[in-house]
Amino acid sequence: MRKLRAFFLRFWGLSAGKRHDDEFAEELRSHLQMHIDDNIRSGMTLDQARREAILKLGGIEQTVQRQRDQRAFSFFESLGRDLRFAFRNVHKSPGFTAVAVLTLALGIGANTAIFTLLNAILLRPLPVQNPEELLLFGDGYAMGSTQSVPDGNTKLFSYSFFHDFRQKDTSFSGIAAVDSTQFETKASISGGAYQTTHVNLVSGSYFSVLGVPAFLGRTIGESDDSVEGAGTVAVASYSWFQRHFNGDPSAMGKVIRIQSHDYTLVGVAKPGFSGVTVGQSTDLWIPLSMEKAFSRAGWNGLGDKLFQSLYLIGRLRPGVTTAQAGAETNLLFQQIVRSYLGPQPSQKHLDDLARASIQLTPGGRGVSLLRYALSLPLQILMAIVALVLLIACANIANMLLARGVVRRREIAVRMALGASRRRIVFQLLTESTLLAFLGAAAGVALAWKGSSLLLNMAAPGPDPVPLNLTPDLRVLGFTIAVTVLTSLLFGILPAFRSAGLEFTPALKDGRGSSSVSTRGALARSLIVGQVALSVLLLVVASLLLRSLIHLYDVDTGFDKHNVLIFSLDSSTANLPHGPDEIRSVRLQEQIENRVQAIPGVRSDGFAFFAFNDGAWSDQVLFQGVPRTPANGDPVAFNITGNGFFSAMGIPLLEGRIFTSPDTGTAKVAVINQTMARRFFPNSSPIGSRFAVGETPDHPGEIEVIGVVKDSKYYTLDEAPVMEAYFPCTQNPGFFGNFVVRYAPGANQQEISSRIRHAIGEINSNILVNSVTTLEEQVDRSIAKQSLIAQLSAFFGILAVFLACMGIYGLLSYSVARRTSELGIRLALGAQSHALLWLVLRECIFLLILGFAIGIPVALSSTHILKSLLYQLSPLDPTAIAIAIATVACITVAAAWLPARRASKINPMQALRTE
Amino acid sequence: MGESEVWQGTLALMILKTLQSMGPLHGYGIARRIEQISQEQLIIQYGTIYPALLKLEQEGYISADWGESQNNRRARFYKLTRAGRRQLEKECQRWEKAAAVLARFVSTGEEAI
Repeated sequence: MRKLRAFFLRFWGLSAGKRHDDEFAEELRSHLQMHIDDNIRSGMTLDQARREAILKLGGIEQTVQRQRDQRAFSFFESLGRDLRFAFRNVHKSPGFTAVAVLTLALGIGANTAIFTLLNAILLRPLPVQNPEELLLFGDGYAMGSTQSVPDGNTKLFSYSFFHDFRQKDTSFSGIAAVDSTQFETKASISGGAYQTTHVNLVSGSYFSVLGVPAFLGRTIGESDDSVEGAGTVAVASYSWFQRHFNGDPSAMGKVIRIQSHDYTLVGVAKPGFSGVTVGQSTDLWIPLSMEKAFSRAGWNGLGDKLFQSLYLIGRLRPGVTTAQAGAETNLLFQQIVRSYLGPQPSQKHLDDLARASIQLTPGGRGVSLLRYALSLPLQILMAIVALVLLIACANIANMLLARGVVRRREIAVRMALGASRRRIVFQLLTESTLLAFLGAAAGVALAWKGSSLLLNMAAPGPDPVPLNLTPDLRVLGFTIAVTVLTSLLFGILPAFRSAGLEFTPALKDGRGSSSVSTRGALARSLIVGQVALSVLLLVVASLLLRSLIHLYDVDTGFDKHNVLIFSLDSSTANLPHGPDEIRSVRLQEQIENRVQAIPGVRSDGFAFFAFNDGAWSDQVLFQGVPRTPANGDPVAFNITGNGFFSAMGIPLLEGRIFTSPDTGTAKVAVINQTMARRFFPNSSPIGSRFAVGETPDHPGEIEVIGVVKDSKYYTLDEAPVMEAYFPCTQNPGFFGNFVVRYAPGANQQEISSRIRHAIGEINSNILVNSVTTLEEQVDRSIAKQSLIAQLSAFFGILAVFLACMGIYGLLSYSVARRTSELGIRLALGAQSHALLWLVLRECIFLLILGFAIGIPVALSSTHILKSLLYQLSPLDPTAIAIAIATVACITVAAAWLPARRASKINPMQALRTE
Repeated sequence: MGESEVWQGTLALMILKTLQSMGPLHGYGIARRIEQISQEQLIIQYGTIYPALLKLEQEGYISADWGESQNNRRARFYKLTRAGRRQLEKECQRWEKAAAVLARFVSTGEEAI
């Protein structure tokens, strides 16, 4: 305890230095004064007396310095000395430093990069007031709209429900609503050029409930959202405002024209807030009362009580628990939706509703489909990079152990000169911390660029995902924690080992043998661990790669080569809605015909959807066919021009596809194989009649005229989906996807620019948003799988490479130490291949031990990957065999070099070296 | 003994003993007293007494306060605390034991020659 007290006093002494110095100066003065008095009394002159007193004291300056040393540790002083010494050491062995820093930079950089993404997508709260009080209705993993009666976990809600619920509930101090779809549209400021703008429709309560104040002007209020069509105001995000107005407040009151409606800019939201959807950035918020101006013809989001398209976010009233709120919410939900079903609801609707519920989830981190898609891959990648860092630590620990042996003499001398063990350990740890921080600095630089690159790979597209990836405090803290942990992990064992050695034998020759065997055991177990981890990582990598290959080999049903997809925007073309909508279709036909005439173009057609860009689905009912579990699944619909099938390369199997006469009231459809088989297992569907909906208003209004081959609709890994195609002419509207097939070998650039030109000639207000190829669209749909497969392969190989460096280092060292022994063996007649085997044997032994640990661990953990694997068992023997073979081959190759050196030893030279 | 430096551990013991026998005393006084007791055999640099005093103070064995010397000089006076008294007792016992062992050792050595 006394020691501890003195320790703290000395620590405290660091800060109170000045006062203590003054006091001691006075004490010294009185000391000298008394001494001088005595000296004078014994007969000296004043000068003599003074000189004698100072002499006897041992010098004033020296005494003051000694006092200071005792008062405060020279803790910081010694830290500074350690650091300088560490820098010198690091500088002295540039090879070791370069390898260690590079390894650490990769390890720490990868961890920081993945954590940056994880933080931005999974962890970071929204920049709103008290985000922890917010609750999201449902989990938010849905987007778009549905008109069916709620059934199961409900995630989207109608405008009517929002209003009715708000009046009755007591659990929330406020509820905000936002349309789940962000509209990408064109806006013109004060009559200027149209520019792409992202619009979110929000309730009047949105800003007040979230607690987002206006930076300028005002936010959207209840009065803007009270009467349908009355809220012609817009609130801008700070970044949009800066981009377009450079922070000029006179922008307030400016008129913004979007899809033939004018909106007045009334305010700017506080900087940093860009909506509640992570991975989307809002430019303008417009009241939900203007929904009609954004929705497609015939949709009635405000009037239809079952048109469910909104996310609801509530702020919990103080003192109410989530469980209480959940109970009340579900009770009201059942009552309110029941009242929407009319006086005599069908039994099926009642059954559906009985199964429906609302799950309240924490809403402080916002809503994100990106989170849904990337949550598991990011967590797996985080685990992978953490393991890689662990392997890197083992490697550096091994290198430090080897250096420790070299530095035995230096350390022994320092200990003989009086350095305590603690000082030595502290100094060695300073060195490893310095290495770790050098690595971290390089790693953070790597991560800075790396994380946005990764995000682009995971979610590719013409525009980068708007996600703020600037490192925040949490990322910084993570990196520092990882760095410190890393330096301890790789530094502490070698430091203790070095300081613990018996130094007398070390002093004698610098090559004592006492601790060599233990170092060997430690180094060997580190290598076994490395091999085990690399096998685990490679098993994961080869599973994911094989799954990716399966995905690439999937029969898409369409021919993805030589196809361009134009994304067109008609929002500024002022096309009519309602009865005149057929004019949009005529415009499309004009474009189709003009483009068809361009040399090199084989076929073309408009479509609602091409592949993997949205969906519209519902049940259908065929006349005379009872509903079965097989045909009760929703059918995926598409609306296409006549040339769509040949442009996509979807072959016709039976009947015919759309022709120009399919314009009348006799509605027709083309269906796919799966749909034909499910409804008509034993007969031809041609001529049969069906209608859309669970209980259609006009049963049998659509006639099947053809059957086409199955093609992928949502994703590459979907199970067979029932699909039905309708002609544009009978479902008028402007469909933004224009699919063009060109002749193999034709100049894609030239065709693309000619098509742009042709579209501009027909109607200059039809804007081309982007041009991609169908191949790119397919690749983009598996970007997530491809990213995680590529990254895990990269890190897997890196892990094996690091393990190999370890093995190479260990064996080289052991061959060097055993030179004389090997030389004697050779001299006594051992064959050189026997020596080769002698060394290789050690490597194979470590390898087998590593496998014995790594393979069972891999087998018991790969089931985590199940949902990411396409048509592949998590225990796929081929993948595991590939992993084992790769690790075995590469490590044996690494061992081969030192082994060969052993077999090439010249016995005479070897004997002389000792 | 010709050494000008005294081993820190023994210096601390000498300071504690001095304070016990003399009562509160300033640094200069302690240094003089140690020299006198050793009959000028032990020559210490007076400066070395201060770090030792500070260490004892930090450990709580002695405490210090400003006061007046015999010749009306302001000086910092040190005195034993209760913990210091206990520590002195312990140190004395240890020292006696060590000295006895060493004495026996030295005398047997002479006999053997």
